[in-house]
Amino acid sequence: MSAMRIAVGFKVTPDYDALRPADWARLAAADGDAERAEAVRYVRRVFGVFDEAALELALRLRDARAELGLETGLAAFTVGGPEAGPFLATLQALGFETARVDPGPAGEHGGLDFAPAATAALVAACAQRLGGDVLLLGTRCGPGESGVVPFLAAEVLATPCVTEVTALEPAGGERLRATFSADESPVRATVTPPCVLAVGNAVVSLLRVPTLKDRLAVREVPVAEYTPADLGVDLTGAPGHAAAPTPLEPVDRSRAGLVVPGATPVDKARALYEDHLGARLEHL
Amino acid sequence: MSLSREAIVEGLRGVVGPDAVITDERVLVESSVDNFRKLQNIFDVHTMPVPAAVALPKNAEQVAGILTWAAHNDVTVIPRTGGTATEGGLESAVPDSVIIDGSAMNQIVSVDPYNMQATVQCGVPLQALEDHVREHGLTTGHSPQSKPVAHLGGLVATRSIGQFSTLYGGIEDMVVGLEAVFPGGEICRIKNVPRRAAGPDIRHIVIGNEGALCFITEVTVKLFPYFPENNRFLGWTLKDMALGFEVLREVMVNGYKPSVARVYDPGDAGLHFSHFAAADDCVLLFMAEGAEGISKATADGIQAIVDKHPDCTQVPSEYIETWFNDLCWDASKITAEDERIRQTHNVNRTTEISADWSSINDIYQAAKARILDEIPDITMMGGHSSHSYINGTNMYFNYFFNVVGVGPEQETEKYYLPIISIICEETLKRGGSIVHHHGMGKARAPWVKDEYGSSYYMLETLKTAFDPKGIMNKGTIFPI
Repeated sequence: MSAMRIAVGFKVTPDYDALRPADWARLAAADGDAERAEAVRYVRRVFGVFDEAALELALRLRDARAELGLETGLAAFTVGGPEAGPFLATLQALGFETARVDPGPAGEHGGLDFAPAATAALVAACAQRLGGDVLLLGTRCGPGESGVVPFLAAEVLATPCVTEVTALEPAGGERLRATFSADESPVRATVTPPCVLAVGNAVVSLLRVPTLKDRLAVREVPVAEYTPADLGVDLTGAPGHAAAPTPLEPVDRSRAGLVVPGATPVDKARALYEDHLGARLEHL
Repeated sequence: MSLSREAIVEGLRGVVGPDAVITDERVLVESSVDNFRKLQNIFDVHTMPVPAAVALPKNAEQVAGILTWAAHNDVTVIPRTGGTATEGGLESAVPDSVIIDGSAMNQIVSVDPYNMQATVQCGVPLQALEDHVREHGLTTGHSPQSKPVAHLGGLVATRSIGQFSTLYGGIEDMVVGLEAVFPGGEICRIKNVPRRAAGPDIRHIVIGNEGALCFITEVTVKLFPYFPENNRFLGWTLKDMALGFEVLREVMVNGYKPSVARVYDPGDAGLHFSHFAAADDCVLLFMAEGAEGISKATADGIQAIVDKHPDCTQVPSEYIETWFNDLCWDASKITAEDERIRQTHNVNRTTEISADWSSINDIYQAAKARILDEIPDITMMGGHSSHSYINGTNMYFNYFFNVVGVGPEQETEKYYLPIISIICEETLKRGGSIVHHHGMGKARAPWVKDEYGSSYYMLETLKTAFDPKGIMNKGTIFPI
């Protein structure tokens, strides 16, 4: 029996929580991917939240299959620029074969941030190139967060798609048991590759950490680099943006607080009740 | 004969009243440790002896009552406030000890903008004081990473230092006066004066005592004007830590006082700056703050110094400003880190030392090489210098490892203590100090005599004089 190949598509995204107010203002006023990229230039990059869960689920599935004597090949790929370099190095150290699809300058094709169809075309083509039986993706990722790339990629690949996957385990032979959320209840289904699995709110959501020795061992291993043309994808004819972006607002995480006046705890308790709690309790 | 746990509880109730004595098992277990047992805490594994009770005194007189009673009954006491210590200083190393928790003494007593000082009780969170004085356009200048959680009593007891120390100094430079209670029940107040030469500076008996000599009940600290609008950020990448140390030295020797002056090695830089630093880059960064003229002159002076080093490549200041805005650990970050550790079994630890300029790079290189060679499962080994002086600097070793093949309770034995041991050995060999600002706690107490050499006589005499019955925080600073 040949090894199962799991390909995981991931995205590296700016840490929007670390943006300065001035950068938020620039981001809100940005017109196009190039200006948006400049506005988020100064913050660190992180894995897409659901993508990171997908990567760790792939590793755990490999480990579980290994305990059953089943071989599994892992590949991880991203569509994006060189900022993904450190993340690809980490994944190589964890045992993934790695690849990066460089879409080229946004000006040549209108940008991919809000173009899920074009993104899905590249994702599907890269997964095919890497020979993935199972394509794992995060259910959605910023800035677009369309949530439709897994569906569109599955259409291109003509395979089934299971979404909101929260757990994966072997189910005999080459089959997998996927747990996914449906109407807030978990559902388990047996899936047979080839398939696309979109990972949602998995309990296991953080990627394990390779040792320095793991990193040294693969330091010279190259990352495969593809262009859209290499994968047979023509972005110039890609559909336009799925939706027009709307201005972004930073999430206000400030904590409202009030110091209750009073010389003694009794005074403070009285002020708290009279000025704040009393009226609320009357509504209950 | 030692008292039973029930007798201890009754004795304490007689001193502070029943409402101020906690015997809830969960509270006792959580009070038996600090962040030294971080991994155990995260996995809810507890191996330290459970204290008999936690006492919450409301004033210095009650603290004196507890200490007098404890000395009379040979009960070990452990002073505690915010609980953010990292070296085991708050661990209950012996059975049936009593935690004296100063959290109930949480009043900001006074803020004096004219004399530029503030007086607070030991249980005031530093963030609360900082927020309060900011309303006056002032700052404490003290910003350890634990600022959102740490209390003033503990910060003084551990001789803590903040991220802006190169300008404002360490806590020892900020404390004006204080009140402390000694095991014999003596309540001692050191008055608030700008300086005096009336014998030795006895504040330094208290600052850094880690609860091994006394209980700090009140502190007066200096205040400083706050000019965040004048903050200036500068950063460079470079390939060589030795060059980074040399630039820091030149900045300090030439008299500049940036509030932040750091050089990160490639490993540590990779955690924060991978979006602009290459995998083999060190990162050198500064922040200048203060009145506009001071901030500009500081930034211009540092720029001129680094410009003479062509191997330093400047980066846009926005990268450094963004990093700066994210410095402190609030409750949400602590929770997220705990979850990361829980899921990945990958633990982050730190050990900080200090040395003169001639020795610091050798210590860094030697310790790092040995750790990489001798310790398994290391996922990151690096560090940065973050507190510089005219005559030297610190090295903050920052390292991560996967905990493999052992449970949380063996993590310290398999990984953390061997790493601490290597760092202490390499530091002592070259004349450095094995602890820059985290305190000796219990973790580094085995090296106390090596650290002090012949001056250990002075330290030991303080202990025997102030705590003749040895009830104060057994095992901290002085190993059992």
